[in-house]
Amino acid sequence: MLAINHLHAGYGNSQVLNDFSITVPAGEVLALMGRNGMGKTTLLKATMGLLPIAAGEIRFDDHSIVGRASHDIARLGLGYVPQGREIFDDFTVLENLRLGLMGHASNNQTLPEQIFSWFPVLRDRADQRAGSFSGGQQQMLAIARALVSGPKMLLLDEPTEGIQPSLVHDIGLRLREIARDTGLTILLVEQNVDIVRTIADQVIFMENGKAVEQVPVGAIRQDDDLLARHLTL
Amino acid sequence: MTDIAILILNTTSYILILVLVALGLVVVFGMMGVINMAHGELFMLGAYTVVVAGQMGLPFWLGALLAPLFVGAVGLLIEWMLIRHIYRRTLDTILATWGLSIVLKQAVVLFYGPSSQSVTVPIAGAVAIGDFSYPIYRLLLMTMAVMLIAGMLWLFLRSDFGLKARAVMARPDTAACLGIDTRAMYRRTFVIGAALAGFAGAIVAPLISVDPSMGLGYLIPGFISIMVGGAGALSGVLLGGGLVGATNNLLTVWLSPVLAQIAVFLLAIIIIRLRPSGLMGGRHGT
Repeated sequence: MLAINHLHAGYGNSQVLNDFSITVPAGEVLALMGRNGMGKTTLLKATMGLLPIAAGEIRFDDHSIVGRASHDIARLGLGYVPQGREIFDDFTVLENLRLGLMGHASNNQTLPEQIFSWFPVLRDRADQRAGSFSGGQQQMLAIARALVSGPKMLLLDEPTEGIQPSLVHDIGLRLREIARDTGLTILLVEQNVDIVRTIADQVIFMENGKAVEQVPVGAIRQDDDLLARHLTL
Repeated sequence: MTDIAILILNTTSYILILVLVALGLVVVFGMMGVINMAHGELFMLGAYTVVVAGQMGLPFWLGALLAPLFVGAVGLLIEWMLIRHIYRRTLDTILATWGLSIVLKQAVVLFYGPSSQSVTVPIAGAVAIGDFSYPIYRLLLMTMAVMLIAGMLWLFLRSDFGLKARAVMARPDTAACLGIDTRAMYRRTFVIGAALAGFAGAIVAPLISVDPSMGLGYLIPGFISIMVGGAGALSGVLLGGGLVGATNNLLTVWLSPVLAQIAVFLLAIIIIRLRPSGLMGGRHGT
């Protein structure tokens, strides 16, 4: 579904990603873990066309997407839930969701019913200002907004960041349910081990802009040393 | 009594034209961080469209219809040649569009000379309201301006286009990642702003002297209206335009044009001192 080969990208002269390569097969949930500043967010932004790419290749669903405009990449079926959620605070919940559909040139502009079965709170509070939502609710809204257009794949950047612990597990379960219901391919950037254990099939560890080790998720359940090696300072 | 009624009507029509000009400025600034110093020249080009149409023997209303189309097309060209290269670099846009405004002004001087042109009022009649009469054309102009302002507010605050535009304003990257073509939204907004200025210039042409530097007379109060009202919210433009237009027009008649200008600047300084982001500043969208 997504294949990234020998990617170099970053901000200005500082290349955060150094020869980064991964492959995410269709239907798989891949978690990308690593310490802060290792280039996880940079990778997702570069994939969405938000950062210039110095070298390397990104193929999504058999299209080369390097150099394409972000909206083009989104329309190919790549959904993105950015770090910090980036919901439109001044708009209502419903307007946020409708924006997820409007960029996609389909004639069908009705929100899929399934969204509300995954996130009932979004129906109950459809007319509420999104900015008045709690962090967890805003995260659900950001995920739902990326899902309404029926993407083939979802990029999730730290969906548990700044969310109260009781909701973290909840969001994890919901994402697992969505992945199972739809067969959605997911690339998840995360620091929270609990949510990675809940939904991921494979885990990739990242260090200094490179993918250094890939293991099935079972490995991190058994081998605590693995996490210590890649995540502790 | 009669004098006051006429003064109020004249002031209202001035305010409405000012709001039309300022609306174009504020959507372009809010959306792409472009301060368009050439906006007054787009207004001027609208007036000249009517002048040229008249010289070619075309009726006024056809000229007034052509003005937004022609100026909108000029806006499209400007966007493509200049503006798209400097999005979100506000200081650069001031310099670039200021240069553009000189070019446009001089181009008009080359073709039509520096002297002022006049446009005949298309409807000569007047209506009697009570014991005074008022030109029908001015009433018509106010009606058209109100409809256009309402249309613009509807477009940006109620329509799907407006929702997308406000999303691009608030979070351009996120909007793009939802599949919204931000460049196309910028382009359309700039053309809409230009066409609006062109139409405002066209309908006001019969009432004022049309000359190459007429744009400045509306650009400066337009900017002050935005500063006073706040650049974040469209309702700020209505409030700012109302305050600036009323102060300017009423004091021009009651005291003198110079004192009126001083009062407008004082008003702007005081309001910005007290509320740096304008009266409606800090509020977005509405």
